[in-house]
Amino acid sequence: MRITTALIALGLGVTSARAQTTIEWWQFWTDPSIKPTIEAMVQDFERENPDIRVKLTDLTWANGHEKIAIAVASGTAPDVLELGSDWIAQFAAEGQLADISDDIALDSAGFNGWSLATYRGRVYARPWILGTRVLFINQDLLKRAGLDENTVPVTWGELMAAAQAISKLGRGVYGWGSNIAEKHRLYKKFLPFVWSNGGQILSDDGEFCVISSTRAVGALKFYKSLQDCCSFVDDQRGLEDAFLDNKIGFIISGDWLLKRIQQEKRSIRFATSILPGNNPNLGEERTPGVRSIAEVYPGKSFLGGEFLAVTTSSTHRAEALKLIAYITRPENQVRFCKANYSANPSSRNAQQDAFFQENPHLQTFGRQMRLSSHPPVDPDWVFMEDEIEKAVEDVVFNDAAPGEALRRAQIRITELRTKAK
Amino acid sequence: MSLPRSATSLALTSPWTITLAAFWVFPVAYSLYMGFTDYRLLAHGHAWVGWDNYRELFADPAFLSALRNTFIFVLGTIPLTTVLALGMALLVDRPFQGRAFFRSAFFLPSITSMVVIALIFMNLYQRGGYVGLLAELVGLPVPANGFLYDNGTALFAIMAMDVWMSVGYYMLIFLAGLQAVPHELYEAAEINGASAWRRFRSITLPLLRPVALFVIVINSIKSFQVFVEIFVMTRGKFDTMTCVYFVYENGLTTAFRVGYASAAAYVLLVIIALFSVAQFALMRRRGPAW
Repeated sequence: MRITTALIALGLGVTSARAQTTIEWWQFWTDPSIKPTIEAMVQDFERENPDIRVKLTDLTWANGHEKIAIAVASGTAPDVLELGSDWIAQFAAEGQLADISDDIALDSAGFNGWSLATYRGRVYARPWILGTRVLFINQDLLKRAGLDENTVPVTWGELMAAAQAISKLGRGVYGWGSNIAEKHRLYKKFLPFVWSNGGQILSDDGEFCVISSTRAVGALKFYKSLQDCCSFVDDQRGLEDAFLDNKIGFIISGDWLLKRIQQEKRSIRFATSILPGNNPNLGEERTPGVRSIAEVYPGKSFLGGEFLAVTTSSTHRAEALKLIAYITRPENQVRFCKANYSANPSSRNAQQDAFFQENPHLQTFGRQMRLSSHPPVDPDWVFMEDEIEKAVEDVVFNDAAPGEALRRAQIRITELRTKAK
Repeated sequence: MSLPRSATSLALTSPWTITLAAFWVFPVAYSLYMGFTDYRLLAHGHAWVGWDNYRELFADPAFLSALRNTFIFVLGTIPLTTVLALGMALLVDRPFQGRAFFRSAFFLPSITSMVVIALIFMNLYQRGGYVGLLAELVGLPVPANGFLYDNGTALFAIMAMDVWMSVGYYMLIFLAGLQAVPHELYEAAEINGASAWRRFRSITLPLLRPVALFVIVINSIKSFQVFVEIFVMTRGKFDTMTCVYFVYENGLTTAFRVGYASAAAYVLLVIIALFSVAQFALMRRRGPAW
């Protein structure tokens, strides 16, 4: 009798396993404004693929990285992972992400952001929603400072002059918003200045660290002078609060601030523009008659984003790839971006949607993305990042000399890379 | 049918002993082992590296500064907390109107969530916050970006908060100790003409010695392990990196170097053990230890 029951149970198990595969997806979108969209997309996917069920698990930015690492270590990693771009190399180098180079070859043309997911020539994740940061300008403060409210600082010099003018208003009003020493955030604020000044982290061939080049040092000097002359210093959230309260003239922020302004129905009068540049070949002089800012003063920003990857431990690789392909379809990216007010879908087709084309702020983000760089895709980036942040902290909070601080960082990074080899 | 006595007691204590063995003894022993390996969460497998982690630790400027900050934290807060707690206990020991109110008011911070207190103090310490305004009123220099975002003041600001929040708890322990002091001793001393100061020095303090030892040892261990305040308020930045935060940051974030972090945790364990042994030895010494 018992044996019969067991056989029946086994038989049922086998049939249902054949009929349906369950895959697990760990993702970070828990905000009530976007979670329903994620769930709806998953339901639509299941309707399209009746043989696949998706189990969603939410992660938070506060401890998601930890949870993923622990899951990987204990062999309980899900099939599909949402990863921030700066984690891909780390997980890929340890062999935790499936190499999907051959699976995505067909549609690679339609997407931006592949370089962020490519480690040693192989692709380990698919770009989903990218992200960059632009300059937010408080137009009320410009006006109060006696400047044209449509002023858009195109060069570092113009930014400094406008920030100084706004700071002169006094009474708790500052021209510029500068970040405190926040891990994983400070470098994202500083590196755009390095890139905009023609500096780099590694040499073109990726062999040497060049973070103490004259151009990088110049960038740090300017960053420091901006902080010293007219800055409100706080964490990113604090800066955004102060900006929305008309206390800061200029801050660098991402599309989440657009979402917040809309959600909270803030009445602030603001503009967005690509970051000011400082083309070292042209100096601070603007060439008369040249209209294209991008060509003359490339104000480069930071490029990052959300990626979807399949873990090596997944036993449902095909189904996992199907889910990833579905979620990153252009129409689903548009759906996601509309709900979340995201400015930078990875799909070029999605970018053509009226939602992005008709909103000047989202267009700024689109333009800025084409003028963005990202740190090297390297498992040791976490250490390099730490050294660069230490140098910036040392200079802006301890008055260390920029040249020396960056030279120390360069020496430490070179040592690390030599050791890693 | 009856089981032998020892078997019964073993069975009855087993839920606790098993939990202790599985979730305490085993992890502690395993992390001792991991401290000698290059174990990283993300990597497949790990190798024995001998004393490499320990050698690296003592050459790592971040760890050395974490050690320094931890010692500043412990040596800065313990004497202050102990003296204040004793003083407050003496104050609320004598009968006066509203005594119950003050006793509970002093104790209140120690039953409040550390995270909540940290968030409130972040507000007080920020640029334009009350602490800054008060300091300005009395002509003290105020850091431009607030007390927590300044290398010179951040650690001390957190220490001040820690004293404020823990002093009530130790006051309560001292109070219990004070009430255990036999009243006849005071009466006898008074009859013999001892002054209040003399009674305090010759009766109260010596009899409170075991309580004081308890307070100092417990508070030292707790202070060596300071973490939540740092995690909430500064994330180890602005020269506030402490040992436990160092362990967390290296073991559970960025590179997930569990082996390295385990070694750091063991260095801290040895320091705490030595410190506690020294405290016991000092306090047990005969004669006026005060």
